[in-house]
Amino acid sequence: MIGNGAVVLSEGAPSLEPLAAATGVFAYLWLLIALPLLGAAVLLVGGRRTNRWGPYLGVLTVSLAAVFAIVLVVSLLGLPADDRAVGQTLFEWVFVGGFTVPAALQLDQLSMVFVLLITIVGALIHVYSLGYMEDDPDRRKFFGFLNLFIAAMLLLVLADNYLLLYVGWEGVGLASYLLIGFWQFKPSAAAAAKKAFIMNRVGDVGLSLAIMLIFITFGTVTFDSVFAAAGEANESTLTWIGLLLLLAACGKSAQFPLQAWLLDAMEGPTPVSALIHAATMVTAGVYLIVRSNPIYDGTAFALTTVVIIGIITMFLGAIIGSAKDDIKKSLAGSTMSQIGYMVMAAGLGPIGYVFAIFHLLTHGVFKANLFLGAGSVIHGMHGEQEMRRYGALRSVMVITWITFMCGYLAIIGIPPFSGFFSKDDIIHAAFEQNIIIGICGVLAAGITGFYMTRMVIMTFFGKPRWPDDAHPHESKPVMTIPLIILGIGSVVTGAALLYWGNIESWLEPVTGIEEKPLAIPTIVLEGITLLIVLIGVSIAIARYRREVPVLAPKGNLLTVAARNSLYDDAINEALVVKPTYVLSDGSIFVDERIIDGTVEGSARLVGGLGARLRRLQSGFARSYALLMVGGAVMVLVILYLARLP
Amino acid sequence: MNPEVMTAPSIDYIALLPYIIVGAAGVIGVIVEAFVGRNGRRPIQLVLAFGSLIGAFGVLVVNRTTLGLQAEGAIAIDGPGILFMGLILLLAILVALLMSERQLDPAGDAFAPRASALPGSDDERELTTRGYFQTEIWPLFLFSVFGMMLFVTASNLLVLFIALEIMSLPLYLMAGMSRRRRLLSQEAALKYFILGAFSSAFLLFGIALLYGYSGSVEFSVIADALAAEPGQTALVVGGVALLSVGLLFKIGAVPFHAWVPDVYQGSPAPVTAFMAAAVKVTAFGALLRVMYVALGGVRWEWEPLLWIIAGLTMLFGSVVAIAQTDMKRMIAYSSIAQAGFILIGVSTATAEGLYASIFYLVAYGFTTIGIFAIIAMVRDAGGEMTRLDQWAGLGKRSPLVAVSFGIFMFALASFPLTSGFIAKFLVFESALAVDNLGLVIVGVIASVMAAFFYIRVVVIMFFREPVEGSPAAAVPSATTTLALAVSAAVTVILGVLPEPVINLIEQAGVFLR
Amino acid sequence: MTSTDPSAAEAVVFWVCAFLSVVGGIGLILSRRAVHSALWVALTMISLAVLYIANAAPFLGMVQIIVYTGAVMMLFLFVLMVVGVDSSDSLVETLRGQRVAGILLAVGFGLLLAIGLGSALNGVPVVGLDGANGEYGGNVEGLARLLFSEYVLAFEIVAGLLVVAALGALVLAHRERWQPRRTQREISQERTRGGIHPAPLPPPGVYARHNAVDTPALLPDGSVADISVPGPLRARGDLRPVDTAAVAETAALTSGEATYGPAKRPVADDPGTSPGEPS
Repeated sequence: MIGNGAVVLSEGAPSLEPLAAATGVFAYLWLLIALPLLGAAVLLVGGRRTNRWGPYLGVLTVSLAAVFAIVLVVSLLGLPADDRAVGQTLFEWVFVGGFTVPAALQLDQLSMVFVLLITIVGALIHVYSLGYMEDDPDRRKFFGFLNLFIAAMLLLVLADNYLLLYVGWEGVGLASYLLIGFWQFKPSAAAAAKKAFIMNRVGDVGLSLAIMLIFITFGTVTFDSVFAAAGEANESTLTWIGLLLLLAACGKSAQFPLQAWLLDAMEGPTPVSALIHAATMVTAGVYLIVRSNPIYDGTAFALTTVVIIGIITMFLGAIIGSAKDDIKKSLAGSTMSQIGYMVMAAGLGPIGYVFAIFHLLTHGVFKANLFLGAGSVIHGMHGEQEMRRYGALRSVMVITWITFMCGYLAIIGIPPFSGFFSKDDIIHAAFEQNIIIGICGVLAAGITGFYMTRMVIMTFFGKPRWPDDAHPHESKPVMTIPLIILGIGSVVTGAALLYWGNIESWLEPVTGIEEKPLAIPTIVLEGITLLIVLIGVSIAIARYRREVPVLAPKGNLLTVAARNSLYDDAINEALVVKPTYVLSDGSIFVDERIIDGTVEGSARLVGGLGARLRRLQSGFARSYALLMVGGAVMVLVILYLARLP
Repeated sequence: MNPEVMTAPSIDYIALLPYIIVGAAGVIGVIVEAFVGRNGRRPIQLVLAFGSLIGAFGVLVVNRTTLGLQAEGAIAIDGPGILFMGLILLLAILVALLMSERQLDPAGDAFAPRASALPGSDDERELTTRGYFQTEIWPLFLFSVFGMMLFVTASNLLVLFIALEIMSLPLYLMAGMSRRRRLLSQEAALKYFILGAFSSAFLLFGIALLYGYSGSVEFSVIADALAAEPGQTALVVGGVALLSVGLLFKIGAVPFHAWVPDVYQGSPAPVTAFMAAAVKVTAFGALLRVMYVALGGVRWEWEPLLWIIAGLTMLFGSVVAIAQTDMKRMIAYSSIAQAGFILIGVSTATAEGLYASIFYLVAYGFTTIGIFAIIAMVRDAGGEMTRLDQWAGLGKRSPLVAVSFGIFMFALASFPLTSGFIAKFLVFESALAVDNLGLVIVGVIASVMAAFFYIRVVVIMFFREPVEGSPAAAVPSATTTLALAVSAAVTVILGVLPEPVINLIEQAGVFLR
Repeated sequence: MTSTDPSAAEAVVFWVCAFLSVVGGIGLILSRRAVHSALWVALTMISLAVLYIANAAPFLGMVQIIVYTGAVMMLFLFVLMVVGVDSSDSLVETLRGQRVAGILLAVGFGLLLAIGLGSALNGVPVVGLDGANGEYGGNVEGLARLLFSEYVLAFEIVAGLLVVAALGALVLAHRERWQPRRTQREISQERTRGGIHPAPLPPPGVYARHNAVDTPALLPDGSVADISVPGPLRARGDLRPVDTAAVAETAALTSGEATYGPAKRPVADDPGTSPGEPS
């Protein structure tokens, strides 16, 4: 860890005894996944017959899952604090050579909060989508994919081993891919889907290799057994596992250097951006790191890397968010930045795990709120996403405006809105660990204040800049009611979780907790943070209070760079895409051009199909045969060499 | 031994019944071709083919507990051998379903009305309008299956070689029988034949060297000789090397892969399915048996060889497939890459590696058949449409077909909950069990690169607007539909519930000597 | 051959035959004409047969001569005769580097194997076949016993291979007729009534230098009679070009317009000097 290396193993390390078998209401744990999965199956297999009632079925399954999740949390609360983890084995999934991987679920405190977030926010977004996707001919498919996503995401957080987690991990990736490219008539959407998929695959390499490494090191992939043995493993192995898991997290959570896909992912319908690319899926990386905390506890190097990645992304996202004129892309930059916060917090070790999750929860609520608000605006503006063409919308879209403001105040961290508590806790923890990290956190909070204020002013204040025939209007109740609920959530979640839900002690059995004394009193720190935020807000007001030009001004170097997402595409192109193609083309060149090209050339000279065919055959076959002789020589050489030692 | 008296060789014909059924059906098929009128041939051939394949499979299941060396030690009917034969028979039944398809091509089936007619000649047109069909493919097909069954159970090098030729000769012929694009098809057949003969020469040379070393062609005697004499001579090295060249050629491993794309592209789709699925299974079966049984004593020598070949094969196949624009060529390179992954399992030289390879072959075989069933369905009047951009918008026009194809692509890209995922997992796991992390890393990287082109197909099918003239999948007859449904079901079931199959493979145990 | 050391005579036989068999192999590759290649192969096979016999395997040696040299190669020659003895392939290599790489790799491959095998087999005692042959009372008896005991399955499944080979040849070559065979009467009726060629078609041309079926005959007026070449060859475009200059020269000579003497025409124009290229 940076500065002070003392790593205290958390006292509340996961229990070594097997999980309590699921009984009572927990015996139906599988229902959580089965319900949305059933919905997806009916909608996707049922075809056009389900067009009429299908979307409602989609909403129903997720809502039932949400209700069941609430029942589960109440039941968990009824158990003693140390026994709040139950396991359920569904069936033996992979069984080979004495090595078993059951398809088993595990519900503990960490999974529980995720389940709540996914099902409740998911249900609200499903309802909202009823309105948002009203006119879409492929509505049924949309709801099918959404249900599929919910099922996969629940599997991800409920899995009790890395392999099953991987299934969920790929599942959410698939659903995300399908939903980003949902409007397939837009070539940009298809391209964005592919990009997201490929960058996620890079992350998946990390996860697969990490799982392999875990398997060789510990001989198992079940969380409990791995974590129980993590203390004895040697540090360099743990570091490698930690870094590979971090790579996986970077892919899924759009962290540097795999962040580029998230902005493009905004090509998907807005409810998708809200649910998958803001509230839930992109936080899977944070979940992975926090879940694997016993591994990270043994490796200071990996933890430090986590912090650095988090900080870089935090600023990167904030800068991009400040320059984008597309409301959704600006929000996406913000999401990147906020997840950077969480990753940074997770990298702080036991001091930060709890707060990473805490911020993840509040962020899930207020970012969903902001995205749905943006969606409502876009809906009212008939698909226009450019903030420079908005302005003064507060008068025509009152509910959207008010709820958006709740989310706004929450994200910039004004007390007593939810973001205040969670962000403040992270900054507090960061200062406890290392003052530089703390300062970074405060600065990023300031930039957050800037870009969010910019967004609010450009969208809801100032003069209208929309064309005369735009006629913006408030959305229907089916969209505004979820907005109102989420708006209230943005206000209360923070305080509720902290004081009423007692999130710290709730999560402690899973993550452990640690506190260090801080030189400055908490209240002073909070005051400084608030001050920096307000400075950011003021700068934004000063800049955008006056006229906002419809066409973006040229801007300085940083602005231009930020508008281009800091050239991440160009960098990826140069570093990854080009070399791959060069490699591929090179191989093809050897394989076809040299052999094929010359032959075809001569064949064309001769002309006539028969002659061409004859030449082609002899040409190919003798080259291939030559290659085979070369191969035989290679085989002989390898075998002779293998005998040398 | 007394020169006057000779004991008759003991051959247990009951144990050999599966081979006899298929081989005899082939012979009867030839007689049918000679003596039955034109119109009567097809029904008889169909009955013979399906009857013999299903019958042989049934006998195999009934006989599954009679294990042992048969026919003077020429073939070994053991657990893996029975598994391989069963798998070959099942795949062959699916291929036969594809071969009997007569609804997709308006002119009839997928095969040229007469292989001897000059491409594009009046003769050929006349044959087509008269509705002639080449029913000789059925006996050829059965003989090929017969050769495959012998190939995977051969326990001496002589039988191994003859079985290889029995399997290959019909394939060379069938490759040249495509109804459409005759020239391409004939070219493929000739290339396959020439290169196949070339590789057979290597194999024979290797056999000769091993015979020179051990004085026998029996696997068990060779193994004993290797065990008795730890210091190996160049005879063994040369023998191992040349034998591997011959077998790796059939597998399509780099650098013996050059024939694969051309032959896959030129052959009729059902035959390509047969080559990609059954031949690969067979070649791996034989490779596993030769390496594990006969050459197990020098595994320290061939293990590094297989590591290198596996690495090369995975990387080369995956990288080159990215730049392909033709569906069949892309699948061909993909099958090269897949062979590399299976070689990882082979190269471990452990029982776990054996099981993992068999599971991989099961998963890969069924998926491949499904893929070619669909390739045969996506067509216009001129034949199959194999250019990738012609598949644009298939998801809109034929959603069910496109979804099935998507499942197969996801399986090859080893997505969780498909058979490909479990297969890759088992193979990697078996390599990790012998601490071969390097090969696994190469494998994971290759599989990520491979995911790119598999998913590109999905993108093209679902996310690209159909262009002018891009097809809907033709409606196939019940046989193709059945083959497709079975492949898709196996692909999914093996991903969700692989355990019964894994158990079956583990219970089969290891090779007999 | 009872001694354990090969006699000097056997060594001489070996080196001569081994040399000849390799020469035959190289000749096969380097010949432009298929007939020459076939004859080179025959040389290789006969050399091998002598080697087998010298190695106490008379049966194999005889089979080699009867089956390969006698049957297979002669069949080959028949086919070549029908197609045209003179047909030859261009040996110009169109692929850059193919030949160099091929030679290098082949030499490398040969060296790797030869060095390895040479070191491995150096000093291995010579056993000879006498023991093996004597065990069953002779070479042929021993082979028979092996074929019908240890290798009985291999022997049996070879039948399958032969059936496939025969079937394959049929599939590739056999044409079923879809019309009833025309009788001689019908053919002659058609010929006379059609009025095109009442008489038999002209046979291929017979010249001092060419007389294969692909050489067209000349009509009295000196023009080329394409129909004198069999249809399949015509369809394939395998007509040998007629040296029209030579024809003109002959015509001039016979008509008395010219006298014998040095060639008056430039040799470079002679298309007959490159007989292999299809026109």
